[in-house]
Amino acid sequence: MTEFADLIVEDAPGKRVLLMGNEAIARGAIEAGVGVATSYPGTPASEILETLALAAPKLGFHAEWSVNEKVAFEVAAGAAITGVRALTSMKNAGLNWVMDMFMTLVYGGVRGGFVIAVGDDPDAHYSSNEQDTRFAAFYGEIPCLEPADPQEAREMTRYAFELSERLELPVLVRSVTRICHASGDVEFGKIEKPERKPVFDRHWKLPWRWNVYGPPGPVEKHRWLHGQMPQIKKLVETIPWNKLELRGKPIFGIIASGLGASYAREAVKMLGLENKVAFLKLGTPTPLPEQLVGRMLKSVKSVLVVEEGEPLVELQVRGLAKDMNPDVKLLGKLTGSMPPVGEINTNIVAHALAKLVKRKLPADQPRELIKDEIKNLVTPRSSTLCAGCPHLGSYWALKLALRKVGGKVPIVNGDIGCYEQGGYGIVGKEYKLSFSTESVRYPIDSPYETLDTNYIMGGGVGLMQGQFQAGYKDGAIVGVAGDSTFFHACIPAVINAVYNKAKGLFLVMDNEWTAMTGHQPNPATGITATKEETKLLCVEDVAKACGVEFIQTVDPFDLKTTTAAIEEALKSDKFAIVVARHVCTLQAQRQKKFVGKRMIFDRDKCTGCKICVTFGCPGIIFKEGKAGLDPILCNGCGMCTEVCPTGAIRVEE
Amino acid sequence: MKKEKTPELNLIIAGVGGQGSIRASHIVGIAAIQEGMRARVGETFGAAMRGGAVASHVRIGKGIFAPLIAKDGAEIVLALEPLEGLRNAVKFLAKGGLLLTNTHAWMPVDVNIGRAEYPTLEAIKGAVEKLGGEVVAIDATSLAQQAGNVRTMNVVMLGALAGTGKLPISVKTLKEVVRENVPPKTIEANLRAFELGFKTIQ
Ligand code: SF4
Ligand code: SF4
Repeated sequence: MTEFADLIVEDAPGKRVLLMGNEAIARGAIEAGVGVATSYPGTPASEILETLALAAPKLGFHAEWSVNEKVAFEVAAGAAITGVRALTSMKNAGLNWVMDMFMTLVYGGVRGGFVIAVGDDPDAHYSSNEQDTRFAAFYGEIPCLEPADPQEAREMTRYAFELSERLELPVLVRSVTRICHASGDVEFGKIEKPERKPVFDRHWKLPWRWNVYGPPGPVEKHRWLHGQMPQIKKLVETIPWNKLELRGKPIFGIIASGLGASYAREAVKMLGLENKVAFLKLGTPTPLPEQLVGRMLKSVKSVLVVEEGEPLVELQVRGLAKDMNPDVKLLGKLTGSMPPVGEINTNIVAHALAKLVKRKLPADQPRELIKDEIKNLVTPRSSTLCAGCPHLGSYWALKLALRKVGGKVPIVNGDIGCYEQGGYGIVGKEYKLSFSTESVRYPIDSPYETLDTNYIMGGGVGLMQGQFQAGYKDGAIVGVAGDSTFFHACIPAVINAVYNKAKGLFLVMDNEWTAMTGHQPNPATGITATKEETKLLCVEDVAKACGVEFIQTVDPFDLKTTTAAIEEALKSDKFAIVVARHVCTLQAQRQKKFVGKRMIFDRDKCTGCKICVTFGCPGIIFKEGKAGLDPILCNGCGMCTEVCPTGAIRVEE
Repeated sequence: MKKEKTPELNLIIAGVGGQGSIRASHIVGIAAIQEGMRARVGETFGAAMRGGAVASHVRIGKGIFAPLIAKDGAEIVLALEPLEGLRNAVKFLAKGGLLLTNTHAWMPVDVNIGRAEYPTLEAIKGAVEKLGGEVVAIDATSLAQQAGNVRTMNVVMLGALAGTGKLPISVKTLKEVVRENVPPKTIEANLRAFELGFKTIQ
C-alpha cells in the first residue's frame, strides 16, 4: 500500500493524484508552508486536519485537534499574529462557535497568512442546518475564495495564504460537501518552505495592533479594516478563478460561483448552449469582481445566477445591476428560478436554463411514470448504530430505567455524535401530528426514537436545565452527550447546572473517540492528532471539579448495572451524571482489540416477540416470524443475550 | 450483454456503510487517473458508522466537471447490496444501462422492526427491466467467503465490473490498483476475490 502520508508531502510539482477536496485543501496548505494547523472534527471538513496531521511530523509543523472550533481558531490566530502561516478548518456549524473571535480578529488582522477553511453542507447531509458561511466573510469584510473542484481547492488554499499576507487579513476558503468529499485528479504544485521565525511586535504597522482596545480603539481599527476593501476589490478583478467568457453574440449570461460553476458548465453542455452563453465563473463570491460583473451585465439581456447556499452573489449582483444595467433580467434563488433550500445539481441548473431560453428539456414521460410506480419498492433504510455499539446498551438501559422511574412523559435531550442517531427516527414509519395541550408519551420501537430534542453540540445539557427551571413535572428530565462533546461544549453548562441548582440526569456516553466524524482522538483518548501520548482526561474528574455530587461510572455492555445506575440517578434529587464508558466497537475492531464471542441463536426458543429487534442492533434480523443473528453483521458483543426474555440468544460456552 | 467501452463513463457504486463502496470507487478513480484520464468521485453519503445507504458517483472522461451524475445519466450501477442498487437505478440508471448487483441483502432496520418490506430480487429485476435496464446479479458475498475473506465482497464486484468489459480501464491497471489500495495482509484474498468476480461475468 502506498503510504498516503508519504504521498501528500511529496515535493513533486506536476504529479497527478486522486485527492478528496479536503485532502486537496490540506495539500494547498502544505505547499504554502503552513506552520500551525488546528481544527475540531466535523463532517464534511474533518479530513483537512486528518491529512495535515499525517504531514505534520514529516514536515515539522504543528497540527492539533483542538477541544472546540473556538479554541482551534484562537490557537491558529495566535500563530498568525507572530507571523507564522496558520490554518484552521471546521464544518459550517463550527464557524458559529468562532464568530466572537472572528469578528474581532479582523480589526487589525494578521501578520502571517491565516486561512479559515470551512466545509459547508447544503442539503444538510451531515449537519443540523444548511447555513452559508460565505456570509461570515461578507460580514467580517474579508475575502472568500470558493473552489469549483478539488484542483481549485488546492490552488486556492495555497494562494489564500499569499493573499492573506498581502492584505494582512484572514481569508476564508469555503468548500461544500460535494467538494470536501468528492475526489478528483489534482495536480501537485511546489512545496514552499517559508522560513518563519515567530516574532512579536506590539505596534507592527498599526498602533496596538493585536489589542483591540489599545488606542485608538475598536472604531479606528474597524476603519482600517474597511480601508482594505478597495485593495481587495482590485485584486479580485484579476485572480485566475474569476473569469469572464464572452464570445460572439451571447443570448444570455450565467454568473456561477464555486461548485455552482461546475454544475452550470454541464447544464450548458446538456442543452447544447455552449455558443450562446456568456459565462462568468466566480472564485470570490465576496467581494465580487465588480468590473467583470459589469461587463457581463452590459452584454446580455438576462442572467442566471448559480450558487450553492443562500443568494449571496445574487444579492450583490442585484445591487450592481441598478447602476450598471437596470434593464437586465436577473434570475436566481430570489426569483424562484433556483430552489431556495437544499443543494443544487446539474439537473436543477439545466431546468432553470431551459426555462430561460424557452426550451423543453428532453423528457421520457412514460419512463417517468414507470419510475413513480417503482418508487414504492424502494424501501427506506434508516441509519443505525453499528452492530455491537456501546450506545445500544446505553439506550436500552435508559429506556428500561425511564419505563420504571421516568414518570409519565420523560424528556430526553440529545446532542451531536454517533448517539444522535438515537433521534433519527424510523423513515419507514408514519408519525402523526399532535395538537394536545397536555404532555404526550410516544411508543419507542427502537433506540432510534429515543431523543426528544436535538440541535447542536452541547445543546441538550442546556435545554434540560430550561425544562427544569420552567417547572416541568410530567416526567424525568434527561440530557445525553458523548465524551468529545462533553469537552467541546458541555462543561460551562454543567457548571451552570450546579451553580443554578438545576436537577436531572446527564448521561455521558463515553466511547473514548470522536467516532462519528471518523474516529479522531480527543482529551478522553489519551493521544494527540499526531499520535503522541498525552494526558488522558476523565469526564468524572472534570464533573467533580465542576461541583457535581452524583457521579457514577458504568460499562454499557453490562445492561443490568447500567440500568440500575440510571435508575438511581433518576431517583436522586441532584444534578446527576452517569458516565457509560466503553470504547467504540468499530474502532476497537479496527485496532484489533475487540474479541467477539461465538453467538448461538436457538430458533426453537424464539417466540417471535421481537423484543430483541427493538434493541436496534443491525446484527439482529427478523424473518418468517422469528428473529435471528446475521452471521456477517453480528460481531459477537454479547449484549443482546441480556435482552431476550426466553434465552434464545446465547454465548457459546 | 454488449461489451463496449465508452470514452466517458458514469458509474455509481452503491451499498451500505461498511461494505467498502467508497474504497471500490476510489480504486476505479485512481486506476482511471493512472491511465491518463480525468476522474471525479463524488460520495453521496457516508458517516463513519455502519449501516447507512452510501453511493459513490464515479465519472471518468474529458468533459467532466460536476461530482454528481445527472438523473438517468449512469451507464452502470454497481450494487454491493440489491436494495441500494434499486434505489440508485431508479434515480440514475440510463435507459439501456446495466445494474450489476450482489444478491446478498442487508436488511434495513425499518424492515426488521416490521415497518417496511424488502423487495424480492425478482421484483428488483422486473422494475429495472421495465426502466429499460439490464440486470446481472451475482452472489458476491459467497464468492468473497470463497476467496477467504467476506470483506473482499467489494472487490469481487469490481472484478465482475471488469468482467463486463465496459470499463475504459485495463484489467491489469485495475488489479494493480487493488493491490496497492487494500490492507497488505489481505492482498492475496482480494486478488482471488477479483478473479472470482471477473470469471462469473466473463
Ligand atoms: S462508530 Fe463506534 S460509536 Fe459510532 S455507531 Fe459505530 S460502534 Fe457506535
Ligand atoms: S451479539 Fe447481539 S448485540 Fe452483539 S453484535 Fe451480535 S447481534 Fe448485535
